[in-house]
Amino acid sequence: MDEYIRHFSTSVAAALQALPAKEIAKALDILQATYERDGRIYVFGNGGSLALATHWVSDFNKTVFSHHLDNHARRFQAIRLPTTEEELTAWANDVGFDMVFAGPLRNYIQDSDTVIAISSSGNSPNVVKAVELAKSCKVPVIGISGFDGGRLNAIADAKIVIPTEKGQYELVESVHGVILHLMARYFKDYFDYMTEQT
Amino acid sequence: MLIVRAPMRISFVGGGTDLSDFYRHSPGRVISSAIDKYVYVAINRPPLIRHVSARYSASEIVDHPSMLKNDRIREALLELGILSNIEVGTFTDVFVNAGLGSSSSFAVALMKGLYATLGKRIDRQEAAEAACRLEIDLVKEPIGKQDQYAAAFGGFNVLQFNPDGSVGVTPLRLDYKQRLNRESHVLVFFTGITRQAASVLQEQKEETHNKIATLKGLADSVFEFRDRLLAGDLAGMGRMLHEGWLIKRTLASKVSNTAIDDMYNAGMGHGAWGGKVLGAGGGGCVMFLAPRETHSFIRQALADAAKKHALDGFSEIPVRFVHSGVEVITNRNSFDRKSAF
Repeated sequence: MDEYIRHFSTSVAAALQALPAKEIAKALDILQATYERDGRIYVFGNGGSLALATHWVSDFNKTVFSHHLDNHARRFQAIRLPTTEEELTAWANDVGFDMVFAGPLRNYIQDSDTVIAISSSGNSPNVVKAVELAKSCKVPVIGISGFDGGRLNAIADAKIVIPTEKGQYELVESVHGVILHLMARYFKDYFDYMTEQT
Repeated sequence: MLIVRAPMRISFVGGGTDLSDFYRHSPGRVISSAIDKYVYVAINRPPLIRHVSARYSASEIVDHPSMLKNDRIREALLELGILSNIEVGTFTDVFVNAGLGSSSSFAVALMKGLYATLGKRIDRQEAAEAACRLEIDLVKEPIGKQDQYAAAFGGFNVLQFNPDGSVGVTPLRLDYKQRLNRESHVLVFFTGITRQAASVLQEQKEETHNKIATLKGLADSVFEFRDRLLAGDLAGMGRMLHEGWLIKRTLASKVSNTAIDDMYNAGMGHGAWGGKVLGAGGGGCVMFLAPRETHSFIRQALADAAKKHALDGFSEIPVRFVHSGVEVITNRNSFDRKSAF
């Protein structure tokens, strides 16, 4: 048992050691620019990735400002797509599962917005479809993927990929969680620091 | 109705190497940052009003874009074949012709916005190229390419101007502490003197072939400045600005004058590590890098120098570095999303 546990933790630790720092930095700059222009951030994925997206929205909309909720005239506007289960099932049942993200995204998207797409394979058809919509609107895309990155990593502007063998979902999603927390922490530290300086 | 904005910029090192008379021979380089002062362009396509209307410091209403006095708006509309039913207005956060690159910020925002009204979204690269074509090829301004790229991309960048005409944009990834630290040492003052960059640059352009070695040195020094910036060596950055300014003064006779020299010397005499005149020179803004404890002394010294020269328009311009580049802020065209999908 010890060996099994050590094996998993070693592979997670190795992936963490090799975080794509340049692409994460690029993603942070994209988020900073979105904040400056008061744009919105849409985030989505399937299964565990959707759970990561929902978790990140609560971190970004509230926790990053939590020490100074009233000190900032403007806060982040992060939105998980679809916003309700009703919308998800309506799109899936009535139009097709490939439209569950692209459908709602088209309702919202404006030029000043940003998209974060999470997909371990990078090839989920519904994720790719929404990302292609964002690209056609010239909206910046932060792609968070694993395995070989797939189509998502190929077309994203910030290409955050955790390279692993195909099928290593637990490893990839664990590291995605770390990266999403890093983003939240960066802005929390930033707003804390700004408040201390003034 | 559509509203686009593009930031102005502060350039630190390498100005002049973005002129084609130089980079055709040897790669030019500039290090600059977008700042939180913007040029806004509002565009409307009124379906029932056939006139062409341009609203800037003047207001023009004509029957055909070829009749417009505003050269950038005229050439842009003709280039894109927008010949009627159009209103273009512009607004700015600070004075134009102040050396903050506002005329190119305007060109970038204008091209991005006009393409958007035609249902075509262009990205940052395309917006920079379209603005360069507008200003350099169509309006025939004797200017370089650095401002269009700085406005389109936003953020802190090393720009490289290659002999084949291509431009490389390498962003410097400063974290928030580095960014806030660097900007808190920057002081920018509007001298109260506005000028057309073209008048200074025309002479500089004509002289470029005599100054190739000097300009090559400036282009190469961009890397050293970048390294000092990343390392937080503010005093070293200041020294480099000062050396660059001394060189720039030799590039064209109109780069400086007595009032500018007095203001610059006042800042240097009160503790600044270094500084420069922003933009082509001859007026506009003067910038310093200075220890924070000297800022109040420098402010007072500059104000005194401006008073001596009766420059009523003198004022400090607080700046922050920003990541945002050219962007559509509002797009209320009904056809817009349909065309996107």
